[in-house]
Amino acid sequence: MQSFGKSNSKIFSRQFYCSLILIPLAGLGAICCFSRDALADGDAALREAAQKLAERVASVPGLRGALRLEWHADANWSEGESAHWQEIVKGEIEKRSLSLVEDSGAPILAVFVAETPTQIVLTARTHVSDRDEVRIVAVARALLPPGSPPVAPVRLERRLIYESADRILDAASPGNGEEGSLGLLLYRNFELLALRVDSKGAVKQSVSLNAANMKPTRDPRAQLTAQGNSVSMELPGKACEFSWEAPGEVKCRAEKSAVAEKSLWQRLTLLASPCDGSSWKLLGFGGEPNAREVLQVVPEGSQRESSAAVLSEFPGPILGTNRAQNPASALVISQNLRTGTYEIYKIALACGN
Amino acid sequence: MRFTKLRWLAAISFTAALPACVGAQAVQQSRYGGTLHVKLRTASVSLDPREWTPGSLASAASQKLASLVYDRLVTLDDHAKFQPALAMDWSHDAAARYWQFKLRPSVQFSDGSPLTPADVVASLQSSLGKGFDVIAAENGVAIRSAHPAPDLLEQLASGSNFIFRRKPDATLLGTGPFFVVESVAAAPAETNPLAIKPARIKFRANGGTWSGRPFVDFVEVTLGEPPLRQLLDLQLGKADIAEIAPDLVRKGRQEGLRIWNSAPRTLVALRFDDSFDAPASDQLREALWLALDRDTMANVLLQREAQPADSLLPQWLSGYAFLFESSMNLQRARELRAAFPAGVPGAAQPLRLRVDAPGDLFKLMGERVAVNARQANLMVQVALPTGGNNSSAPAVALHLFAWHYDSLSPHAELGAVVKQLREGGDLPANTTDPEQLFAQERRLLEERRILPLVLLPEYAGVRANVHNWNASPWGDWRLADVWLDSEDPMITKTPAGSPKNSSSARSPGARP
Repeated sequence: MQSFGKSNSKIFSRQFYCSLILIPLAGLGAICCFSRDALADGDAALREAAQKLAERVASVPGLRGALRLEWHADANWSEGESAHWQEIVKGEIEKRSLSLVEDSGAPILAVFVAETPTQIVLTARTHVSDRDEVRIVAVARALLPPGSPPVAPVRLERRLIYESADRILDAASPGNGEEGSLGLLLYRNFELLALRVDSKGAVKQSVSLNAANMKPTRDPRAQLTAQGNSVSMELPGKACEFSWEAPGEVKCRAEKSAVAEKSLWQRLTLLASPCDGSSWKLLGFGGEPNAREVLQVVPEGSQRESSAAVLSEFPGPILGTNRAQNPASALVISQNLRTGTYEIYKIALACGN
Repeated sequence: MRFTKLRWLAAISFTAALPACVGAQAVQQSRYGGTLHVKLRTASVSLDPREWTPGSLASAASQKLASLVYDRLVTLDDHAKFQPALAMDWSHDAAARYWQFKLRPSVQFSDGSPLTPADVVASLQSSLGKGFDVIAAENGVAIRSAHPAPDLLEQLASGSNFIFRRKPDATLLGTGPFFVVESVAAAPAETNPLAIKPARIKFRANGGTWSGRPFVDFVEVTLGEPPLRQLLDLQLGKADIAEIAPDLVRKGRQEGLRIWNSAPRTLVALRFDDSFDAPASDQLREALWLALDRDTMANVLLQREAQPADSLLPQWLSGYAFLFESSMNLQRARELRAAFPAGVPGAAQPLRLRVDAPGDLFKLMGERVAVNARQANLMVQVALPTGGNNSSAPAVALHLFAWHYDSLSPHAELGAVVKQLREGGDLPANTTDPEQLFAQERRLLEERRILPLVLLPEYAGVRANVHNWNASPWGDWRLADVWLDSEDPMITKTPAGSPKNSSSARSPGARP
């Protein structure tokens, strides 16, 4: 039986597809943080589809001799994504005794890639004798790894450190000296869940927060503060606490402060400049859910559109920000509009940009 | 590829129209409360999925409103992932013929009664139709298919596959984010009996829904408003969301309205009547096919708000539609026409074309077909539908129809097209493989019994006070997720998680 409908979280970076191309140069892989599981699963599905297409192409009656591959990727794909697919399809075709050449006079084998709501459809078309031959295969999009986030001009140093198919409500660095570790609040299948992950993105602990008795909502919000093993959360109408040492003991109390009225995630996060120690604040989140968002970092006290602002475009709306471990960095939670996944970026001010 | 382009186009045009809403202190925060006013073109709807005709525009509007009241077992998000809805988990065997769904516990209908596997069986057995056997199981349901059904989730996430309960008094209950509190049929206006007061349906937020209370308290839907009136209502603030006719989209944009569009959802096409038979009918069909100027229809008549259609399924749904290419060839059409034997309809006497789709736009398209035919020396006469059976009227040879894509499964959609439009037609059940599906569609197109004309996206005007508008590319409006600005005088603020509706005010359910 194959099972679906369960969520998993995997670490992943925007250098993902570079890594795919550079896999033979395994040494470089170490500098890119990505999920080997996602890579393996996604590549297996892609390779299977490419094999199927290549087999079907190879079985076209009368198709022999050298062919010129014409590649037409989905317009929404990044170059890296397209090149990776092309490489795999090309390899599978060549494995089946069909030689692919660059010669412009060679007959064309056109391969088209298109996305539908649930599938990626690979179509190969060639002309044999006096007829068109078409071969089509499809692969479920959900089986493939997410596409690489669009490259945006980055003036802040930014690194994707965690991604999840589940909605990430908040993230916080525990500040206990564990470099890169995170505490997370997720909303999975209408339930609240706290995770503790290490610097490699591996889940070390997971706590279901049923005790918080959070009502199902279309607008789940929660604010997380982590200090060592202690975790405190602000939820609409209540505050909860627990310790990673005794995660079953979640204590909640009614909190009649204006927490339900204020936006839980729009806290002001200040960054300290590593150059002169000045304070900078994050601005610009809280727009519409279907647009990429540009984060602005401006000197504290200045207004939006300040000429001193540094900008960074995210692949979707920014859902929240929080402090990271050192005062020059912050955590930014965004939803990637291309993949639907929730992502945590670590941003940091760097001198000279 | 057009699908993604359209999606981006929608996002770009949408973003451009958004107010510059962010300032350091002006971050938008979602709010509960208010009434969302929605205007639809269709004059009547049915919230009973069993009454829907596959592919019809009226059923499409009904489906849109039904999604307020009913849920599905699963939904599809914008990123190709199926999400649990009434089913929390699912699995299937290796052949994808036997599927098991575990139901979400403690889900209640809007009257407070619990959802049971028997409700799911009753709902899906009729909507999935023959070939599927839906069986109640402990904590869930199983679906057994006569053929491999790898696209079952696509089917369940779309079309008429809603879960509901039929009460003894024939009302239908749903578990969705809203329920019907008022339904008023169209009636003559009190002040002017010659004017018609449009039909209206009012939905109230279901505070007990498993998926979280919707933001707005009410959704009030007005039906049958003329297209220009809808545009005006948006401008005047009498509507928050209104359908926009394709030929008014440009006007709306020029007037600064925020306009959203879906991927192409409606196919406009010609269909030869099943009874049509004439000497040299193959040549006649081919000649008409070659005479049709789809580009002009899409770019001039529909002001670039439509796409020329070469296939039955759109590219965003099948992924292979670009393989079908049809180009106008008047020379060849005239040659075919010249070779007709005497007495062929279209040469000796006109072919009667009936416009089956409602609205002036489709009449204009019928007229355009007649013009194209005339250029190839074919005679086509446009006849509008008559009220009763007029046996003395000449037989109709051609129909101009609009087909709304309901399913997210290309196989199910093509099957529905064949079943509905070809007498005795049925698609082989084992054609979920895209190559076989392509072969089937090519065969159908080569018969020239159905001649695609254009593909129309769905357009809606959305007022700036409507936030979190995040409709799916295939046209699901997701109204439970939108919220309204506080400046709206109709809003009464309600704290999150404490729904205003009381059980005493609750309707027993949706009226069919």
